[in-house]
Amino acid sequence: MIEFLPLFMFLAVCLVILLGYPVAFSLAGIALIFAAFGTAIGHFDMAFLQALPNRLYGTMINQTLVAIPLFVLMGIMLEKSRLAEDLLNNMAQLFGKVRGGLGISVVMVGALLAASTGIVGATVVTMGLMSLPTMLKRGYNPAFAAGTICATGTLGQIIPPSIALVLLGDILSTAYAQAQLSIGIFAPKTVSVGDLFMGAVIPGLILVGCYCAYIGFYARLRPEGAPAADEQKSVETVALLSSLAPPMLLIIAVLGSILSGIATPTEAAGVGAFGASLLALVRRQLSLQRLQEVLEGTVEVTAMVFMILIGAAIFSLVFRGFGGEELVTSMFASIPGGAVGATLAVMVVIFILGFILDFIEITFVVVPIVGPALLAMGVDPIWLGIMIAVNLQTSFLTPPFGFALFYLRGVAPKEVLTSDIYRGVMPYIAIQLGVLLLLALWPNLVTWLPGKMQ
Amino acid sequence: MTSANSPIDTFTEWCGKLTAWATLAMMLCTCSVVVARYLFGSGSIALQETVLYLHAFAFMLGTAFTLKRGGHVRVDIFYRHFSPRRRALVDALGTVFFLLPTCGLIFWLSVDYVSNSWAMSEHSAESAGLPWVYLLKSLLLVMPTLLLLQGIAEFLKSFTLLRSPANTSFTAAK
Repeated sequence: MIEFLPLFMFLAVCLVILLGYPVAFSLAGIALIFAAFGTAIGHFDMAFLQALPNRLYGTMINQTLVAIPLFVLMGIMLEKSRLAEDLLNNMAQLFGKVRGGLGISVVMVGALLAASTGIVGATVVTMGLMSLPTMLKRGYNPAFAAGTICATGTLGQIIPPSIALVLLGDILSTAYAQAQLSIGIFAPKTVSVGDLFMGAVIPGLILVGCYCAYIGFYARLRPEGAPAADEQKSVETVALLSSLAPPMLLIIAVLGSILSGIATPTEAAGVGAFGASLLALVRRQLSLQRLQEVLEGTVEVTAMVFMILIGAAIFSLVFRGFGGEELVTSMFASIPGGAVGATLAVMVVIFILGFILDFIEITFVVVPIVGPALLAMGVDPIWLGIMIAVNLQTSFLTPPFGFALFYLRGVAPKEVLTSDIYRGVMPYIAIQLGVLLLLALWPNLVTWLPGKMQ
Repeated sequence: MTSANSPIDTFTEWCGKLTAWATLAMMLCTCSVVVARYLFGSGSIALQETVLYLHAFAFMLGTAFTLKRGGHVRVDIFYRHFSPRRRALVDALGTVFFLLPTCGLIFWLSVDYVSNSWAMSEHSAESAGLPWVYLLKSLLLVMPTLLLLQGIAEFLKSFTLLRSPANTSFTAAK
């Protein structure tokens, strides 16, 4: 009974979070209560928590995470200076009288932005601040709008240069070498981060295509929930282009500099935020007061994101201290069905873990445990990496614990009910699961392009 | 509300407004790093570390500010329908059982970690880096302290609301 304590802890968190106390503190608090209880009955060693200061310090000096406040600053700046609103409106106008045009624009702008950040929290927050008010003002159904933004935000998992793919590529290459050695191949093949990027291209395009198709379908079925732009006056091409060009160039420059390897995501984020500030200044939208508002907003959102990270770090330390990892591994061993059964089990577990852990922790905790075993069974590493990424993307969308939902809740206006967000993401979860199934049945969708490039 | 702002609230608000400017400094420093590298071909480790310091400064000192502003995300599917009294009850209990112990733990665990760093005046692992790692690590003590203070302020607000007779408290909105 006592060995199932980690599962009870997980269930306790699930229940307590529903009371409505902030998630970050609930995660940490429940873990501590369980740790105290475990210590009292001699089943938990407080020494496990000694690693905490060093882990928190690791978060403080993590070069990758520095990109978060910078992208948030860029997003809030674009929002407060009405640049993003104009960009979205203009794109929606470009799509003309198409119903749901704004929704499709959100997916396009979001996919660009997701690709430029690769961080779920930052993308959802930025897109939420940028597009949700505009969509609501245009009369979009709140559930549909919120669902579209959450789903778009998670695209950062899969569209290169996704940070999730960089981390996965790193871990998988180690696991792949280990797996081949274990079955007697002493000149092992390798898998690189670049392979994973290539493998992600086709699935990423399929996802974006499916999102747009769903929006078109929804707009046709329920026109009142995704109205077309009502102004029938002909658009002046010059005016349109001149307002469209600067922010588009900014986003493309940020994205391009990362993709071409000129700049790291953090550098691109810093320059992007600077560019957004310059644009706001040129448009005379940047007073000292507004700057103060933008910066305070940036701190609030950043601290919110990092407090969740800190809470999850404490939770995962206690989870491990209770032997949660061993419990999960021993559960795998008892699952029948060979490689297929094992892969399915891994996918289910990763999906569930995605409720409380973000991709960094899952990549570092779960993949090293299950990766070598799965790869030794003959599973393709690139395919496995992409499946994990799409799977986590789905997990981050799934109520009530999906990370994307929390982040959007944090920046959504009060009129958007949490239940709206939950309802809105349902169709996107269906799309995600459909694409997962598609990739499972036709692994070539993933492996064909990397194979071509070699 | 009779006492809208306690001294703690004022202090936290002031800290938040100060840290907000750290994000602007981060942006400017990051741009300087980029300009230095691509225009003058020189990378400055010290400048890069300055960005890290500013980042840590902003999010470690910003948590209490975010708590005061109500910016920490809740799963509010039930919470939003609660009466103000019940919300105050959830907040009071959450603060006592989750927030305050978490702050205590982070502080308690970090004391040795930080004092070790002070004892050796820890320098960056990079020789060209900043020599103030012990100050950076000290944020591990400052963060829980500020959060604890603001947590107490939040608890007092909830407690006052709970203690006030039902007839003078807000009736359930909507």
